[in-house]
Amino acid sequence: MKRYRATFVFVLIVGSMVGLGYGLFGPQKATAAVLSGLTLAALYFLLGAGLSLIFGLMDVLNFAHGILFMIGAYIGYTIFGNPRLILNTAPLFLALAAGATVGGLLAQRIPDPTPRRAGSVARYLRYLLLLLAVAVAVWGVRGFPLRPLVAFEPTTAGGAVPTALAQEPIPRMLVRLVQLVLAGLLLGPVLAYWKQEGQRTSPWRPVALGAGLAALAVLLLLGRDVLERFLLGLSVDVRFLLALVTGAATGAALGVLLETSLIRPFYGRVVTQIVLTLGLMFVGAELVKFIWGKEGRPPMAVPSLFAESCRSPNLIAWLTERCSSIDVLGRAFPTYRLFIIAVGLVILIGVALLLKYSRLGMIVRAGVQDSAMVEALGINVRRVFTTVFALGSALAALGGVVAAPFVGVYPEMGGIFQLQAFIAVVIGGMGSYPGTAAGALVLGLARALGDTLVTTGIALPGMEQALRASPAVARASTVLIMAIVLLVRPSGIFGRKI
Amino acid sequence: MGTLLEVRDIHTFIGQFHILQGVSLEVPEGSITALLGRNGAGKTTTLKSILGLTPPREGRVLFAGEEIQGRRAYEIAAMGIGYVPENRAIFVNLTVEENLRIAERRRGDLKRRADFIFTLFPDLKRLYRLPGGQLSGGQQQMLAIARALVPENRLLLIDEPSEGLAPILIQELMEAIRRLSAEVTILLVDQNFQMTSRLADRYFLIDDGRTIRSGMMADLLKEPEVIRRYLGAVV
Repeated sequence: MKRYRATFVFVLIVGSMVGLGYGLFGPQKATAAVLSGLTLAALYFLLGAGLSLIFGLMDVLNFAHGILFMIGAYIGYTIFGNPRLILNTAPLFLALAAGATVGGLLAQRIPDPTPRRAGSVARYLRYLLLLLAVAVAVWGVRGFPLRPLVAFEPTTAGGAVPTALAQEPIPRMLVRLVQLVLAGLLLGPVLAYWKQEGQRTSPWRPVALGAGLAALAVLLLLGRDVLERFLLGLSVDVRFLLALVTGAATGAALGVLLETSLIRPFYGRVVTQIVLTLGLMFVGAELVKFIWGKEGRPPMAVPSLFAESCRSPNLIAWLTERCSSIDVLGRAFPTYRLFIIAVGLVILIGVALLLKYSRLGMIVRAGVQDSAMVEALGINVRRVFTTVFALGSALAALGGVVAAPFVGVYPEMGGIFQLQAFIAVVIGGMGSYPGTAAGALVLGLARALGDTLVTTGIALPGMEQALRASPAVARASTVLIMAIVLLVRPSGIFGRKI
Repeated sequence: MGTLLEVRDIHTFIGQFHILQGVSLEVPEGSITALLGRNGAGKTTTLKSILGLTPPREGRVLFAGEEIQGRRAYEIAAMGIGYVPENRAIFVNLTVEENLRIAERRRGDLKRRADFIFTLFPDLKRLYRLPGGQLSGGQQQMLAIARALVPENRLLLIDEPSEGLAPILIQELMEAIRRLSAEVTILLVDQNFQMTSRLADRYFLIDDGRTIRSGMMADLLKEPEVIRRYLGAVV
């Protein structure tokens, strides 16, 4: 009986919320509210799944998770509408990474300045190197025409692209690449010392990887005009798919970078992690503002399946008519939001299957309980941590891209969605995967019903005007729900006893 | 009969505490060696230091002639060391099958070893699809040992296997460990001196984080004074 208590509580909460909605607003508006709630729930879930997995396995409260959501959204938006920005900046990052990869080998040549020998001059070598690396990197990107590149947005397909506009000539860019490789070479040993690795690795893998990255950088640079024309010539659907893939891949790559460089040295130091990731959240938001500007962008264009401006009577008609909205009990509901719900469902099921049936999933489930024992079985837990961090980051970034045609992109979106996702995870029970899904659903419904309360209000008998709540109530509704759930079940709906 | 594991004067710190202050021991291949000592003497920390879960700050650990101290725990384990920890550390949300399968180092390890494991612990076959959390203490202990047998390990570190078990189960456990020792070398830690004295060929006695005596178990049994003083046990 006890096993089903959490499920019972969950069904009770959702049931009473939906029931209340139908009682107050009538079937028409309540159904719309439920669908909106599901849309929000899907987005909260995409963010919350990573948060929950990362917390469950590594005991890390990643307050920088929203950054990945936002950067995913921005990268997706940019590759969709302005690939020129990506094509001109990506080679710079690749060059830096190439230099850092090869530079890591230098750490094996130069004797490791061990931090334990306090007072030794060598101890400060890494800081000196870091400063030098930053200086060279700044030298490398100085005068880069970022503003014109960002401002230049050829969102429509087909039109001729004035190539000279906003781009630097290839030779100048090649010089920049060399400068950034140099900066990377200086940065590499610092990272290697930081991670306390650098011994016992064969030199060929880093060299091959570095050369590959450098080659890719040059290739992207030389082919930037051809690639841009090709990308903008693709259909909206393909570009949207590309945005999803690129966004998620960028998220995964950033996740790996974040975990290996900044999270790993601080496992087990909870306060340090919270301060660090919270700080990263602000740094990330400022970085996005610096690159893309303070003001947000309007919602991204939707794929053709959701683009025709008409209203389909039902799902089957919609598949042929490709209308932007669909008839739900006499009210129009945007079809793209159905797509968001579908993405949420697919990821929910996909990750559940991964956890249940794959070896990685088995290791994660075991590691949530006792990661030291998993390590003692001969499994490289550190690599599993990195993989899960990357997976969670990819899901968040994917969520960002999916959200872009719904809410647009803006520098505050990371913080806003992250807060909601955190509340969802707490309601569901920290570290519980089904709990995260349940929490996201409860939260999404609460928010949507709260919004309906604001726009429609409750018609009370004997009153001429409906009683309307202020918008603040809608925003507060999620926190209110969290407070109630935590009062009744301090460890969340599906949480284990703390 | 060569030495499979050799620990030379290791010092291990946990936080600020200097837990091991010079533990040395040798485990000859193909035998059961007991690590004795009272509560808090440092037995569990010794096992964890060998495996790299609490890496020793000083001293050397040699496994099959290779230095392993300072390596990551997973690398050490993958060299062929199985660990049966004190609290059993069964994964409660994994089924018995998954608890075994997760220990595979190569695909098919479990299939290869299934017959051996089931002859040793026939109960596990019946419980195969049950979550580890629903097993009794004795069944969990069997599972913990079975898990260490899935890959081809050359050495098992077994920590307090008899803890909390009924006497009848301890008999069964002893029988299983004795049968195991024909296949694999064992370093055994257990508070139950009745059990370890009957199983082990050799012993190392540690007190306050130091090795203070070692030798053949048969010789130790002739010294009830030592046993009473360091182990609080009566033979």
